[in-house]
Amino acid sequence: MGRIALQPPGFYSTVAKAYRKQPNRWGLLLTGGVILSLVLFIYWAGGHFNPYQVRILNLIGINIGLGLSLNLINGFTGQFSLGHAGFMAVGAYTTTLLMMPPAIKQMNFFMMPLVSPLDQIQLPFLAALLLGGLLSALMGVLIGAPVLRLRGDYLAIATLGFSEIIRIVITNIRSVTNGALGLKGIPAYTNLWWSWGFALLTIFVMTRLIHSSYGRAFKAIREDEIAAEAMGIGLSRHKMLAFTLAAFLAGIGGGFQASLLTTIEPNMFRFTLTFEILLMVVLGGMGSITGTVIAATIVTILKEVLRGVEAPMNLGFISLPGIPGMRMVIFSLLLILVVLFYREGIMGQRELSWERLLGQKDSSPERGVEI
Amino acid sequence: MKKKGLIIALVVTLVAALTLAGCGGTETGGGGEEAGDAVIRIGVYEPMTGDSAAGGQMTWEGIELANELYPEVLGKKVQLFLEDNKTDKSEAANAVHRLIEHHNVVAIIGSYGSSMSMAGGPVAQEKGIPVVGCSPTNPLVTLGNDYYFRVCFIDPFQGRVMAQYAFEDLGADTAVIIRNVADDYAVGLGNYFQEAFVEFTGSEDSILAVLDYQKGDQDFTAQLTTVKNHNPDVIFAPGLYGDSALMIRQARELGIEQPFLGGDTWEAPEFIEVGGADVEGVVLSTHYSPEATVTDISKEFVEVYTDKFGKEPNAFAALGFDAYMVILDAIERAGSAEPEAIRDALAATENFEGVTGVITLDVNGDATKSAVILKVENGEFRYLTTVDPN
Repeated sequence: MGRIALQPPGFYSTVAKAYRKQPNRWGLLLTGGVILSLVLFIYWAGGHFNPYQVRILNLIGINIGLGLSLNLINGFTGQFSLGHAGFMAVGAYTTTLLMMPPAIKQMNFFMMPLVSPLDQIQLPFLAALLLGGLLSALMGVLIGAPVLRLRGDYLAIATLGFSEIIRIVITNIRSVTNGALGLKGIPAYTNLWWSWGFALLTIFVMTRLIHSSYGRAFKAIREDEIAAEAMGIGLSRHKMLAFTLAAFLAGIGGGFQASLLTTIEPNMFRFTLTFEILLMVVLGGMGSITGTVIAATIVTILKEVLRGVEAPMNLGFISLPGIPGMRMVIFSLLLILVVLFYREGIMGQRELSWERLLGQKDSSPERGVEI
Repeated sequence: MKKKGLIIALVVTLVAALTLAGCGGTETGGGGEEAGDAVIRIGVYEPMTGDSAAGGQMTWEGIELANELYPEVLGKKVQLFLEDNKTDKSEAANAVHRLIEHHNVVAIIGSYGSSMSMAGGPVAQEKGIPVVGCSPTNPLVTLGNDYYFRVCFIDPFQGRVMAQYAFEDLGADTAVIIRNVADDYAVGLGNYFQEAFVEFTGSEDSILAVLDYQKGDQDFTAQLTTVKNHNPDVIFAPGLYGDSALMIRQARELGIEQPFLGGDTWEAPEFIEVGGADVEGVVLSTHYSPEATVTDISKEFVEVYTDKFGKEPNAFAALGFDAYMVILDAIERAGSAEPEAIRDALAATENFEGVTGVITLDVNGDATKSAVILKVENGEFRYLTTVDPN
């Protein structure tokens, strides 16, 4: 009895509510409607948007997937990992090498031939993507096993180091990756269906996962590892699961990005790439699916919209010359404002739900109490 | 809560204001379009910020200067549109997209840095807009892309030039290569130097060792000790000016007296600033030297540039200038500002007299032209000789 008395008032009713919470029928219908209209929008955009806008839409889709995968480790499981650029590199290179036609491979490897049998292999895009994701997940297992014993800053540094190691290995195995010369002429398969399919699938998988017993275990680990272990949650097993899944998704995201850009080189995958994705996660809210989706969209669009700031401006009474780099200054200012006044990001750990949108009493518990 | 609302309002207003300001800016661009076909629109994508900002800005100076001197072709005004690619591949592809979709350019100039050019290339190819690169020297930039041209020579030629210089002028029989393995430029250059040097000396053993370092390394003792043990006649060390200058200083401290040879990236004032007295006598190949004015237009360029910027012109400004002039020449010969016509005329460019030499574009779209060899003397880059392609 003594243990029960230790819980804050209202604890059991909240837990019970969280368990009882079933998606109601209206919510399902509305969700279906939103997905359908998104599909229609993508179909419409494919025909009516110009390639520049389509490209931005593609980037948004890929960034949503990448942001969510990082959020799974950093936000939901509370393990601060900075290794995403490494996983993306593995995915991008594997996908590229598996799907590139042999003739283009020969053109790329003009200095040092590609090792066989890689020089003859050409797989369909989907197979190459999945294999890229799987190899990246394998890397996740290999690196995760020793490194996930670390916590906080130490884990961040270890994963950061790992991501740099991957980049340097790729730079040096020239007969497989073409080293610093990079690869070009990658078939451009990525289109709106692929990138948004990836985004939607990631959102779906994440939502299901977070609301399953695994998801609750992830959050328990985030809140307090010792307490979670005391409750019978296998720490290393769950951490590994989150890490591996995130690595898998990051690898696939990297593959999509390679096929969108049609060229890759090791220097693309420096740690600044990880920070760009981390920015979306932090801005949106660590541990919020909705937040990451919103932040990925805003950040990707804003980066392009702010290009206008660098163009020469005519304000009617005064003409300003264009200043290159101005948009990054503005971007940083916005970021400082958000971090200063919105430490939790746009959404904190909250999610959008139909109940909330339609003004019904929110049934999802507030931060800190939710397991 | 009130405070939070206020802040939201502030952020929203800021974003809205910026977005509007952005639109305002682009509208003025659109205003030029309304003037009809009176304007020929040429896009530029260069790294104005990021790692390669210095190179991008030098190139842009040259392009702007060319536009000032020659603002018209076919009786129409030429308008330039600059997009920053932030030394980033993804941004480079976006910038090319924006130039084509948003600014409706008929031709594009750029970019400093081969990797950015390789990202922008396929976009332009797909849209059928010709691009003239100023200084991307990686062979892959133009290979397999009918719409990409460049006014600089490529790495194989530069590597060969230095090998020829080492063998014929310095009488070297053995060499060691130290290269920055993370840099496509350095890896390519090292490779071609090795091939050519082996060919000249007729001996596979003439390259005693190929040593690697990483970008940003501070301590080169390990590599330099190996160099000292091999005791070569010359050391070929392609890399970025900062790393290379540091390495040469350390080499001299270790008592390595052999001459160092390098490529066009070393031609930066910072190379001499960092290296000081230790880089005296270093020899490098580059695209252009104000002391070797080969054509009439180079004399004019040196005068105007010195007038405007108060300093001697560098190779990148000269290449930017040439890229603009080559496009203008193509438009004039085509008699039209249609992208397809410009492309065809560009491909037929032959014996064009540019600032950096006489330019002929080959089947790949690469310039075949002479290279200039410079030597550091009394803290300055001095012209040594010109090497013609054969």
